[in-house]
Amino acid sequence: MKTIMIKTHEAWLATLMAGFMSKTENKQVLFDFSDILFRHFTWLENELIELGESYSYDRDAIPIKVEKLSDLLHDIEKRLSEIDLQLLSSPDKHLNGRIATDIKYIRDVLLHMEDEDITAFSMERKFPGIDLTEEATDALTLFLFEETYKEYELIMIYNYLKAHSNDAYLNRIFQILIDESFFHLKSFGDMGAKMGILAVPRMVMKELYQVEDVVQFLKNGINEELAAKEECKKLSEAVAKDSPELEKFFDFINHQENYHISLMEDALKHFEKGNNA
Amino acid sequence: MSMDAQLIEHMMNPKNYGTLEGADAQGIGKNPENGEKVAIYIRVGKDEEELYVDDIRFQAIGCTTTVLAGSMLTEEAKGLNFNGVQNLVEATMKLLDRLPPEDAACSEMVALAIKAAVDTYEKRKSDPDYPVITYKVVNSCVPKDDNMKAINNQKEGR
Repeated sequence: MKTIMIKTHEAWLATLMAGFMSKTENKQVLFDFSDILFRHFTWLENELIELGESYSYDRDAIPIKVEKLSDLLHDIEKRLSEIDLQLLSSPDKHLNGRIATDIKYIRDVLLHMEDEDITAFSMERKFPGIDLTEEATDALTLFLFEETYKEYELIMIYNYLKAHSNDAYLNRIFQILIDESFFHLKSFGDMGAKMGILAVPRMVMKELYQVEDVVQFLKNGINEELAAKEECKKLSEAVAKDSPELEKFFDFINHQENYHISLMEDALKHFEKGNNA
Repeated sequence: MSMDAQLIEHMMNPKNYGTLEGADAQGIGKNPENGEKVAIYIRVGKDEEELYVDDIRFQAIGCTTTVLAGSMLTEEAKGLNFNGVQNLVEATMKLLDRLPPEDAACSEMVALAIKAAVDTYEKRKSDPDYPVITYKVVNSCVPKDDNMKAINNQKEGR
C-alpha cells in the first residue's frame, strides 16, 4: 500500500506537470486527471492511517524534461500501469476497484491525446507578449521557483494535518487552504512553463509536514503569509512599468493572502480554545 | 542575484536532492535565526586506504539560494577524499565575505552541513551511536535591502 501511495504521488505530479506544458485543450483534461490522482493519493493515505501503518511523503525525483508531450504521457501511462498491477495485491478491494476504473479510463485517454511540441524547458525566460527588464525577469524567475515549491509544500502540510484530524471545523479550513494553494500552484506552474523554466517542486522534508506543534506552525504560517504579501507587492512594483497585466495579477495574489491569514487565525483560535478546554 | 543558464539549470533540476538509502552518516547545518536547515547524507567509500565521498544527497528547509548552494556544493563534494572535502568547506567559507549576507548564510549552511556529515562519520568510527552533528551558521540571513536599512538606521542613531 505504501508503494502504491508513493507511485500515485509521483503520477499525480507528473500529470500536473504535463498540464502545465500543454498549450491546447489537453491542458484542462490533464489538470482534471491530476486532481483525480491527488484524490487517490489521499484515499490511499487514509487507508494507511486506518491500518496504523507509518508512511511519509518521500518520493523519487520525477524526470519531466521532454520535447514532445507524448513522451511524458507514455511515461505517465507506464506509471499508472504499474500502480494498476500493484493494486491487485492490495487488501482493500473496494478502494482498489474505485482507483482501478479511474486509471483504466485515464490511461486510455492519455494514449489518444493529440501530441504537442514542448517549450516549457527552453529557459528563454520571456513572458509571451510582455517585454520585461532583466531585473524584473530575474525577480519573477526567483519568485516562481520559490513560490511553486512553497505552494506544493503547503498542500502537503495541510493535507497531512487534515488526514490526521477528525475536527470538522479545522478540516474545513485545511481543505480551503489546500484548494487555494492548488490555485496558486497551477497559476505559478503555468507561468513557469510559459517562461521556459518549468520544474517539479522538490520533495518536502518530513519535519515540515509531520507537525509537532500545530499552534506554533500556524503562528509561523501567518508570518510567512505576511512575508509572501510583501514579496507579491515587491514583484508587482517590479513588473508594473512593463506589464500592468502582471501587476494586477500579483496584487490579486497579494490580496488573496489576506483570506489565508484570516483562515489561519481562525484555526489558531479554534486550536487554542480546544487546548484550553 | 544575476542569473545565467547554469544557475537556472541548478534551480530547475537541483542535483543530489533527497535522502540517501544506506547513508553512512548525516550532518546538519542550521540557521538559528530563522529555523532554516540543510541535511546532508553521505555514503563513504574507501580507495587505497583513503576515505572518500562515494555518494551524497541533501535536503533543505530554506530558500532557492540554499537549494542552489546545495546543488552546486554537493556536486563538488562527490568523489572527493575527506581532505578534499575539508578544503572545499574551507574555500567556501573564505568566499562568504564576497557574497551578499542572505547568500552567504545559505552557502555557509550547506558547507557546514557537509563538514558535519564528515565529522559525524569520523566520530562514529569509535562510537557508532554518536549523534548527528549540527553546526550553526554565523552569517545573518538578512536581505540586502533590510540590511542596508538597518545600517543606515544605526548610522542615524535610530
